[in-house]
Amino acid sequence: MIIRRISHYLCRYEHIVPLFAAACAVLFMASVLALPVTYHEDQLYPKAIDRQSPLDPYDRGGPPFTQVSIHAQYPENSPTAGLVTSYLTPFSLFLADTTLHLGTTIVAHPGGIIDEILYNTRGLDTVVETTILLVAFAIASFLYRKVR
Amino acid sequence: MGSLGGIPLYVLEFGDELVYFSPYTITLFLLALTFTLLAIVSRPERQVDVAFGGDAYTTKIISVDEMRFRRFMAIACGLASMGAMVTGDVFNFTLFTAMVGITNVGIVAAVKSPHVQDAAYQYGLVALSATVPLFGAAALYAAATGSLSMIELAKGTLPAVPLVAKALLVIGVVGEGMAPFYAAKAEMFRAPGAPYVIMCSLSSLLIFLRVAEVVMIG
Amino acid sequence: MWGEYSTGLLLVLVAAVIGFVALAVETDDLHRLLLLDLVEIAALGIIALLGSDLAEALILPGLTVGIAELLALSQIYVTKENLKDRPVRGLNIEVIQKADAPAVLSAFLVVYGLILSGFTGGGVAALGLVFFFASRGYKEDLEMLEMAGGISWAVWILAFFVFMFLPQYWFIALMCAGVGILIKVMVKLSLSGTVWGERHG
Repeated sequence: MIIRRISHYLCRYEHIVPLFAAACAVLFMASVLALPVTYHEDQLYPKAIDRQSPLDPYDRGGPPFTQVSIHAQYPENSPTAGLVTSYLTPFSLFLADTTLHLGTTIVAHPGGIIDEILYNTRGLDTVVETTILLVAFAIASFLYRKVR
Repeated sequence: MGSLGGIPLYVLEFGDELVYFSPYTITLFLLALTFTLLAIVSRPERQVDVAFGGDAYTTKIISVDEMRFRRFMAIACGLASMGAMVTGDVFNFTLFTAMVGITNVGIVAAVKSPHVQDAAYQYGLVALSATVPLFGAAALYAAATGSLSMIELAKGTLPAVPLVAKALLVIGVVGEGMAPFYAAKAEMFRAPGAPYVIMCSLSSLLIFLRVAEVVMIG
Repeated sequence: MWGEYSTGLLLVLVAAVIGFVALAVETDDLHRLLLLDLVEIAALGIIALLGSDLAEALILPGLTVGIAELLALSQIYVTKENLKDRPVRGLNIEVIQKADAPAVLSAFLVVYGLILSGFTGGGVAALGLVFFFASRGYKEDLEMLEMAGGISWAVWILAFFVFMFLPQYWFIALMCAGVGILIKVMVKLSLSGTVWGERHG
């Protein structure tokens, strides 16, 4: 009897979201109880902060085209990683020369280690990510054109 | 390497992300490949409505546009499942899984019926919320062990992966692959276009099988 | 044992619990979508707690996946609720439509965007295109835009394979990736800009 009621509840797809959300909430609560989690100190791509650099917190040291060492998982697989430290347009170069805060506008001036990770060492992630974006836009524009 | 589900026969190196082919992953990969090829070559079935009490029946017409779109989604879904089967990186696996989820939504959402659209929307909400535990799990893996590579994790030299991370990973995959279970009532499957909806079920099954291997590592 | 990491994690996990509870009790479909956007932030928080450069590189895909799915879902919502277009007016200002200024400004933005390349360049160039379309009462040609998006995607993938298998040509790969992302961002932005644009008739 109880099983029938449960399955009757489950079979309506309107209930799928609350059900899944509740399951997630319970699990996240359980993970609160499972704290603390020990943080492993030996991380990949560790971050160094140098407040004196105009590119802080994205300064990776050194001019472009001289290789900087990156703590990657398999350095032998990415021989060119670390060659591009930053790329600055004339305008951002001007900003870097005159202020100490270019790094805080990094969203507007990407470069350095993030690109190295995104394009090179962990490039497959980015390939999948852009593919997801493509698929999502395909769905949206297909539906959009269908409605019209 | 014992816990990898077989010794990797061939490792393809994409920078930090290794793609490895062990007997287990090869099997799953071939399965995904076969069904993707089937989705490419097969033609969608036409649904026939029969009016009871008379001889009348109608065949539902599927527009070429819709068929092509669903085929594209099915192929993308197949590619995503193939990737999820062989990838050797935890975060990459979660991304492929998320892609399986969104392509499943796409396959279903292309159908015009309002009922199907509603079901697709509900399922899409679940697929989107499932990315939270998925990415959270991958981040916990990295924080606790300092590595995302399954091959490194399987060596046993790194700290153990917290149980929480594994549980989050599993519930995330369940959320992404939930479509077929909610098609149990056939709301979504009643829609025309048979070979493509099969990709939903198959890809979910495959990612469930793969996550079983992933949680055993580390 | 209770380091900074665990304390931060505690906060984020509690936030996630709150978000999911809200999602569980909410019944309105549109509100669910909005709440989901909120819950996504918890995921980004967990990733950010890593605190390494890797965290940033993982946040970008995480964020993009969230945004992409949100876009697809909201379009499904529009279709499912059968929401018809509400007429939106473009910039029906005669001076702008007739004058050369929008064209010149847009051309400047697009060229500058091309020079910048990458994310920034895509954003700037898209701004130019959107401004041009908005001022001229543009009729959509979505297929063209989609095709450009697909081609830029292919360029990106090509760059990736060059990086992986022909590392000595890494500079070309870098440029390809930069141009690919430029076109991609530009197309996506102008697509989202025009999808909600002016209706004619």
